[in-house]
Amino acid sequence: MVLRRSSTLALLALVPSTSAATLRGHVDVRLEVRPPLVRPAPQALSEGPPRETPDRRRSVVYLERAPQGAFEEPERARVVLDQRGEAFLPYVLAIGVGTTVDFTNSDATYHNVFSLSKPRRFDLGRYARGQSKSVRFDRPGVVRVFCDIHSHMSAYVLVFAHRFFSTTDESGAFRIDAVPPGSYSVAVWTDGQVRATRGLHVADEAETLGEDFVVE
Amino acid sequence: MRAAPAVALLVLAAGAWGEDAGPRLALGGEASFSYSNEDTGFFNDAAYGHNLLHLARLDLLASLRLATGLTAVADLRSENLDAPRAYALYLRYRPFAARELDLQAGRIPPVFGTFPRRRYAQDNPLVSWPLVWQYLTTLRPDAPPRSPDALLLVRGSGWLVPSAVYGAAAGVPTASAARWDTGVEARYADGPMELAVALTQGTLSDPRLEDTNDGKQASARIAWHPTPGVLLGASAAQGSFLDASVPLPPGRYDQRAFGLDAELAWGRVLVRAEAIYSEWDVPPTGRPPFDGPLAAAGFYVEGRWRFAPGWHVATRWDRLGFGDIRGSRGPEPWEAPVSRIEAGLGFTPRRHILLKAAYQHNARDYGFVRGNDLVAAQAVLWF
Repeated sequence: MVLRRSSTLALLALVPSTSAATLRGHVDVRLEVRPPLVRPAPQALSEGPPRETPDRRRSVVYLERAPQGAFEEPERARVVLDQRGEAFLPYVLAIGVGTTVDFTNSDATYHNVFSLSKPRRFDLGRYARGQSKSVRFDRPGVVRVFCDIHSHMSAYVLVFAHRFFSTTDESGAFRIDAVPPGSYSVAVWTDGQVRATRGLHVADEAETLGEDFVVE
Repeated sequence: MRAAPAVALLVLAAGAWGEDAGPRLALGGEASFSYSNEDTGFFNDAAYGHNLLHLARLDLLASLRLATGLTAVADLRSENLDAPRAYALYLRYRPFAARELDLQAGRIPPVFGTFPRRRYAQDNPLVSWPLVWQYLTTLRPDAPPRSPDALLLVRGSGWLVPSAVYGAAAGVPTASAARWDTGVEARYADGPMELAVALTQGTLSDPRLEDTNDGKQASARIAWHPTPGVLLGASAAQGSFLDASVPLPPGRYDQRAFGLDAELAWGRVLVRAEAIYSEWDVPPTGRPPFDGPLAAAGFYVEGRWRFAPGWHVATRWDRLGFGDIRGSRGPEPWEAPVSRIEAGLGFTPRRHILLKAAYQHNARDYGFVRGNDLVAAQAVLWF
C-alpha cells in the first residue's frame, strides 16, 4: 500500500487553478469480515467480560498520489481512539501527518497500548479508566496498534501525508473534497489491505464525481 | 478423567442454546525454545530429565463454544517432541450471563496462587520459573521417607531420589506448575472481590488425573482488586498426598498449603510477589521418628520494566526454605534450602515473537552441587 510521502516524480505539474472537484461514493464491503476470535485462554478461571465488537467493515478511500499543494502545514488536529469493552474503537483511524491521537481508556481494567510499526513505535504503559495518553503521528504510513494485555485487541491508524482521504460511514459512504484537476489513482483500504484501485480523471471544471466500489 | 462432572455441566446447559447459536472454534498456539549452558545442579528440572532451560515446547490452544455460556477448552502440549498430552481439557460454563459465575470441570487451571495461570512463556518476563513452583524436592508421594536420617542423606537430589523399596524417581515441587489437576472449580467475582474454589484429585505438589491417593484436595483463593493496578490474593489448599498403594500406618497424610500473592502495576512497571507455606504429613517411622509434618516455605518477588517499545528488563529474587526435622545429629532442614536470582532482557521484534536472554545464579546449602551460574535464552512464537 502506498501511503508514503509522494516523490517529486509523483507530484503533478499543474496549471494553477481555482477549480476543485468533490469525489463521493459508496464502498460495498461484501467480503466476510468477522470480529476477531478471542485467543483461547485455558489458564483463565472465567469466560471474561462482555466485549465490544469493532466495526471492521469501515474502509478508507484515498488518492494514492497527492496533487500539488497537498503538502501544506501538517495538521494539528486531535482525535480519540477509545478502549472500551476490550476493543479499540474505532477499528481504523485515518489521519493526517501531525495529528495527535488520544488513547482513552474507558474500561475498568488496565490496557497497555503499544505499536511496533516503523512509522511510529510507542508503548504507553498501563493506565486506568478515565485516563488518556497521547501520541502524535509525524510520519505517513500504516501503524498497527495493540494491547499487550488483551491479545485480541487491535486497530489501524493510517497516516497520510496529504488530506485526500476519507473513512466510510456506517452506510459505506465517503467524500473527498477539493480535489484539483488531474489524473489520480484512487485506492480502497479495508481490514488491513488495499482491496481495490481505480484510475480517476478530474477535469478542469469544478465537479462532483461519483465512484462506487465493491470489496469482495 | 471422570466423565460425571462434564456430563453434569452438559445437563445443566441443556436448553441454554441462545440466539447467537452455532459453535465457534478459536485456535491459538505457542512454541517456545529454551537453551542454556549445562545445569549441573539440576536446579531447573521440573521432572526427571526435563530441564526448563533445555526445552522445546509446543502448545495448541483451542476453545469451542458449544452453546451460549458453554465452552470446551483444551491445551495440547508436546515437550521435547514427546507425544502430545492434554495439559488442559475442560468444560467451562457460565450459567447466568449477567453474573460473573463460572464453573469448570475436567483438567482445570489451579485456583491456588497465580503463577500457573500466567499466559505461558509470553507472560513470564524471565526464562525460569519461581522455585516454589518448580524446584524438585526429595519428597515422593509414592515413596515416603523411611526415617529422618534417610531423608537428610538425600538432600539436594530431588531430580532423582533413590528408594531401596520403590526405585529411583524424581521428587515433587512444593507446588507444581508443570501440570494441572483434575476436578471441578467455581469462580465468582463481584466488583473488586473474587473467590475461586476447587475440588480435585491430586494435591498442590502432585496434581493427578486419577484419584490414586484415596482422597480429594479442596483449594480456594480469594482476591481483592481495589484498583486495576493492585491485586492481592490469599490461597489455601488441603488434600491427601501419599499414594494409596503405599502401605501406611492408619491416619491421614495430607498436604496443607497457604499462599499470599500480590501484583502492582503502574505505567511500564510490573511487580509481582508470591509466598507459599506448605506442610506434608509423613508416617511416624524411623528412629528417631518424624515428630511432625515436613514444612517448606517459598517466596519470590519479580519486576519487569518495559523501557522502550518492544523491550523489557526483568529480575526475580527467589528463595525456598525447609523446616527442621530431628535426625540423629539433631535438628536440620529436611531438604537443602535454595536461592536464585535471575536477571534478563526481553525483545519483541515483531508482535508474535518474543526473545529473552537471562543470567541466573543458583545457590544451595547442601547437595553434591551447591551452586550454578547459568546463561539462558528463549524464543517464543505465539498466535
